[in-house]
Amino acid sequence: MRRKVCFLAIILLLFMIPPVSAESGKELVENSVHFDNKVVTLRGEVVGVLTRGDSAWVNVLDNEVAIGVWCRANDAKKVSVIGDYTHIGDTVEVVGTFHFACTEHGGDLDIHAENFTVLASGKVVERAPDLLTVLLSAVLVALAIFIIFWLRRLREEKSKIVPWPMSWT
Amino acid sequence: MGLRKFSLVNFLKKNFNFITGILSEIGLTLLIIAVAMFICLLLVFIKSAP
Amino acid sequence: MIPAVTREDLKIIGYNLGKICYVTGAVLFLPIIVAVIYSEFDTIPYFLIGSAIAFILGCLISHFLYTKKEMELKHAVCMAALAWLLAPILASVPILLSNATASGLDACFESVSGFTGTGLTLTLDIDHLSHSINFLRHFLQFFGDGIGIIVVSLSILGKTEMSSVLAFKGETKDMGMRPSIVRTSRMIIKIAVTFLIIGTILFTVAGIKAGLDPGTAVFDGLNHSMTGYATGGFSTHSQNLLYYHSVWVEVAAIVVMVIGAINFNLHYVVLGGRRREILKNIEVRVLLFMLLTFGLLVSANLLFTNFYTSGEALFRKCVFHVISAQTTTGFQTVSPSHFMLLWPVFSMVLLSAAMVIGGSANSTSGGIKMLRVGVLLKSFWGDVKRALLPKTAVVRGSFHNIEDTPLTDTVIKGAAMITISYLILFSVGTAITAAHGYGLEDSMFETSSALGNVGLSCGITSPSMPAMLKVTYMFLMWAGKLEIMAVFVLFGFVILCLRKGIKK
Repeated sequence: MRRKVCFLAIILLLFMIPPVSAESGKELVENSVHFDNKVVTLRGEVVGVLTRGDSAWVNVLDNEVAIGVWCRANDAKKVSVIGDYTHIGDTVEVVGTFHFACTEHGGDLDIHAENFTVLASGKVVERAPDLLTVLLSAVLVALAIFIIFWLRRLREEKSKIVPWPMSWT
Repeated sequence: MGLRKFSLVNFLKKNFNFITGILSEIGLTLLIIAVAMFICLLLVFIKSAP
Repeated sequence: MIPAVTREDLKIIGYNLGKICYVTGAVLFLPIIVAVIYSEFDTIPYFLIGSAIAFILGCLISHFLYTKKEMELKHAVCMAALAWLLAPILASVPILLSNATASGLDACFESVSGFTGTGLTLTLDIDHLSHSINFLRHFLQFFGDGIGIIVVSLSILGKTEMSSVLAFKGETKDMGMRPSIVRTSRMIIKIAVTFLIIGTILFTVAGIKAGLDPGTAVFDGLNHSMTGYATGGFSTHSQNLLYYHSVWVEVAAIVVMVIGAINFNLHYVVLGGRRREILKNIEVRVLLFMLLTFGLLVSANLLFTNFYTSGEALFRKCVFHVISAQTTTGFQTVSPSHFMLLWPVFSMVLLSAAMVIGGSANSTSGGIKMLRVGVLLKSFWGDVKRALLPKTAVVRGSFHNIEDTPLTDTVIKGAAMITISYLILFSVGTAITAAHGYGLEDSMFETSSALGNVGLSCGITSPSMPAMLKVTYMFLMWAGKLEIMAVFVLFGFVILCLRKGIKK
């Protein structure tokens, strides 16, 4: 009876051990061998979705490092915003098996997702033109045009050959 | 309007050397890929051989 | 005795540099089209500022240093060396203003890496970079390395044939393809645009197959085609080509990289009908030999250390990186830290050797160039034959590069000089990198990548890299692009000015 209880306790403990949680994408990549074939948790921003039939690649960026996550296409469809210049992508949490050289995917570093959750939706990033920069660009363009024509006039007065682009007008 | 009729055959005849040249260059790269792939498979076979 | 430098010499160099400023200013207009397409109106002022500064500088230089005198070889070489510094500095203005990099030095580094077709990047967050700035990075590689800024400048703005020919030589494009420089440069541009279109189609189709939407596939395809043909290596994503997880994208990349690494002269004759030249050419033979030998050795090394265990992985990781290194492109499908921390030293040394050897002469590739390696190997073999044959035997060597060329002492000396110069700079660069605390094989890898204008990185190149190392790598990229000699001629010119002063 005691042996059975011990055996059951050991089994229960094994199931209760949480998956190895990675602090960041950077840690996963730099300690690839340690995390190889282990279940990891990765949280980050979606910066790419590539759907291939029933499956999809979702590239998740965390701490300056992006990792490809191989998941079901239905999971990838949960992603509504992909990160780019004008968007912060959805924040997702992926629990899955990490491979530093996946044999199924030609040696790629990837995570085969078992659990894919969208933690937070992405948002639009406003990129309004900076007034100072716009003014500076206008001033410099005007200055450039003025200098082109002014120097052209100087040249004509000194009867020298005018080099391009001053001669095209 | 006076536009000349475009003829694919004439275009191909006129640019035959150019087109076949491009195909031969792409063919060279595909040859490299094929030989490299063969070498990789051969290595895996050698390793897995008893 | 070397004559002293005169004010007229400085005027000749300066006046022609003015034209480079105009062309750079015009180049900085193009990304505005991309900004409009993607509604990135906030980035338009950055390009206008950069372009205006380039035009103002060009006008002032052309006016105050105006001269009617023709360039001689010394002016052309110095002008080429300075042009490859001035143009990147001007092009770095929009990169700096857009906050794509952490500092002005990083922006200059990025621009030098672009123009020289290297591909080492200090951009902070490529995945959130604007399409217009991303396009600029890639276009700088296509324009600067794929075609050549001096090719364009002087074919449009060149005064006379002679000054243009000399400036060509200064940019290490020593070609005699066509009777006139204008026709030669038109041919270079025609070849580049043709392969750009083909590469874009290949990448776009591969991208759509990989799961991209058509718009993204076209944008990424165009950019990767530009940098692939220019053997530059910049990518639109932080993961480089690993972003796509697609063997088809990698195959498209291999096609474009190998084509970019082929001699312009060879392109010209093959596209003109002499298709058999492609296998008779010494550089193609050396390229095939190097790719297959290095590919075999790296693959075997990584297979027998149980790093990669399938044929597909060996091809996509080992052979792909050997091709990327040998063609000096720098497309990468392995994390930089894997190169540094996990790949065996033997494979790293082989990749470094491939990067130092480089691609074909008169191509978009960097490195010592296979023609020189081929010449030196043939010369070595000739010496061995002479030692084995009777004294009275006459050993005549030759090599086939478009046509049969005798292997003379002048040819061998030229190849040896450049090779020795490369190896000296490689040693100095490695020593400086190692002095900053990096391992020897990592230092060799990164130095060969910068000097050979490759772009593969084992992680040393990053925004947190010491400033001294950034400056070192900028110098190596610049010197590697100019094949060293132009840099030494410029230094000699400056030393002459300091020693003898500038005469009237």
